[in-house]
Amino acid sequence: MIEENRGEHSEEQGPTLELLTRRLAETPEVFLDEPRIGSSGRVHVAAVVQDLLASLGSPAHPGRLAPFAGSDAGRDRNRLSITLILCWLLADSWFQKERIRENEALELLGEGAADLAKQVASRKFVTDPERREELARLSLSRLGYRPEGETEEQSRDRLMALSSTERARVVRASREAEERSRSIREALRRKAARESADKWTRE
Amino acid sequence: MDERMSREAQSSDKDRYPCLTDEGRAMLRFLREHPHAPIFRNESGNRLTKEDLDRVRAFEREVEAAGIGWRAGRKPEWLSAFVETCFAEIPHYRWYGSPPKAFQDIPTIDRSHLSRDIARFVPDTVAVERMMLFQTSGTTGHPLIIPSHPLVAASYLPFHKKALRRFGIQPAHGRGKVGVVLLGYQRKCFTYVSVTPAMDESGLAKINLHPDDWRDPDDRARYLDDLAPEVITGDPISFQVLASLPLSHKPRAAVSTAMTLLPGMRERLEARFCCPVLDLYSMNEAGPIAVADPDAGGHVLLQHRLYVEILDESGRALPPGERGEVTLTGGFNFCLPLLRYRTGDYASLSFFGGEPVLVGLEGRPPVLFKTMSGEIINNLEVTHALQRFALARFTLHQNRDGGLLLRIDGPASRGDAIRHALLGLFGPGQPLEIREHEPFTGKVVQYTSAMDGSAP
Repeated sequence: MIEENRGEHSEEQGPTLELLTRRLAETPEVFLDEPRIGSSGRVHVAAVVQDLLASLGSPAHPGRLAPFAGSDAGRDRNRLSITLILCWLLADSWFQKERIRENEALELLGEGAADLAKQVASRKFVTDPERREELARLSLSRLGYRPEGETEEQSRDRLMALSSTERARVVRASREAEERSRSIREALRRKAARESADKWTRE
Repeated sequence: MDERMSREAQSSDKDRYPCLTDEGRAMLRFLREHPHAPIFRNESGNRLTKEDLDRVRAFEREVEAAGIGWRAGRKPEWLSAFVETCFAEIPHYRWYGSPPKAFQDIPTIDRSHLSRDIARFVPDTVAVERMMLFQTSGTTGHPLIIPSHPLVAASYLPFHKKALRRFGIQPAHGRGKVGVVLLGYQRKCFTYVSVTPAMDESGLAKINLHPDDWRDPDDRARYLDDLAPEVITGDPISFQVLASLPLSHKPRAAVSTAMTLLPGMRERLEARFCCPVLDLYSMNEAGPIAVADPDAGGHVLLQHRLYVEILDESGRALPPGERGEVTLTGGFNFCLPLLRYRTGDYASLSFFGGEPVLVGLEGRPPVLFKTMSGEIINNLEVTHALQRFALARFTLHQNRDGGLLLRIDGPASRGDAIRHALLGLFGPGQPLEIREHEPFTGKVVQYTSAMDGSAP
């Protein structure tokens, strides 16, 4: 999964983990709606990101919001859906009070969401308890915090355990998918030289 | 060639016809060794095991019993479960993330997506061992490989039968008879003989009417008369050639696919063969989709597990009556389930007695032509102007200066009347060149224009 805080800075104490996982479980439908990409979808993600940053006290220069527009519905949809869920998470009053920095927030909403999108379908961060916990821990870590009641070591270990298990699953699934695609391509290439099966009409 | 490829390339009759009986073998011999038979250049077979055959028969009963099951403004009941399965089992759709709540939020795909990496569209659950493929040239010049399966190929027949029943024909051929002859007319054509186990091993021959494939061109009519197929399938060009042969056999039906069959051509063929001529809208990506029924005002959908939308350029679903791109979801090819596949064909949707009908189906993108005074002419109007002429295939191109070039594959026996019809549409001052006997290869783009604003 995506890189957590590598311990370059000591992590400050954040909110309880449950506060964030419960918030994720209760993500409102509007944050699960379709991101606007080209002429499809409804939610303008760039506008939601800007609203969030403004509420945190540091609106972004419009040029930095370009990645949140998307251009290809197939490619960008999952990434922007995760950005929306993260926007909901960071809109929690705890983050509002902490006034997290624009750069770190943008990095989480942008690159962080992009990394996650390669591996997990967005809704799992709402419906799957382990993925909720992972997203909550990862968000805290990327912003320089650890869950309340945990030491830095405990926090890092737990995030690593969650991430490495998921990373292993994703790597395995990805390897299997690539192997299967290769075998399909090979089978079709082999059979290209062969006869087909009967149909009553030709197209 | 490695050993496995060599073994597969040398597949035998046992691979091609796993359930072949002595009667089936006799039919193959009759088709292949007939004294007037053409040169068969290839091999094919049904590849159906007994278990497959049971499934094909069950599927045929399902097709017979099922209605289309959706109507204006309603989606089919199976749709949401189908979408969930696609998002769970197919790499390309899985890549989208979570299934959206609303069907219309699913991104569309088109031929370019399939041609980029077809393997990403094959469900995880499909075993590759028995997978086979169909190749299609398409209008883009980019050949496309369609993953398929013997069961899928055999499942075309129930939809053909359904289309035929619409015209009062229940195929009845069986053992010892020839069920179908597939016609081609090309310099190079894939030709073979086979038997159809779901029809008690009736015969099937795919032949090329091009004289180069025959020892004597006169053998074409002799061979077909001796085979006496119950059904003949082909495209307008091969049917045009067939109509010129001294054939005395009258099939019970003819089925035209692959390109637009104009009403004038259809009437001519019906008069020549004294049987219904069905215009089937079919494509390798989805199989038989619809059959033209003049009473219904268009092409009536055939598949009960295929949902059809009409989309505008931006992907918005259009209401009945509005013209847009035919977009498919579902289908019976379990190796290639389609999710919002934009076909590149255009029509509007209407409902006739509750059945969905594609109205004004054009297998090519619409082109707006212009008169010399700047008036817009929809290519549909050109089709209408020319539909009473028995043209096998033609293209119309408009040059940048407004001049028109009509190319006809074959003779324009009524050239003056065709000119008159087109000038009646465009106006008497329109420059128009008509070229006959233009050789076309592969699929063609019927209407093109170099003028600005030719795309709607």
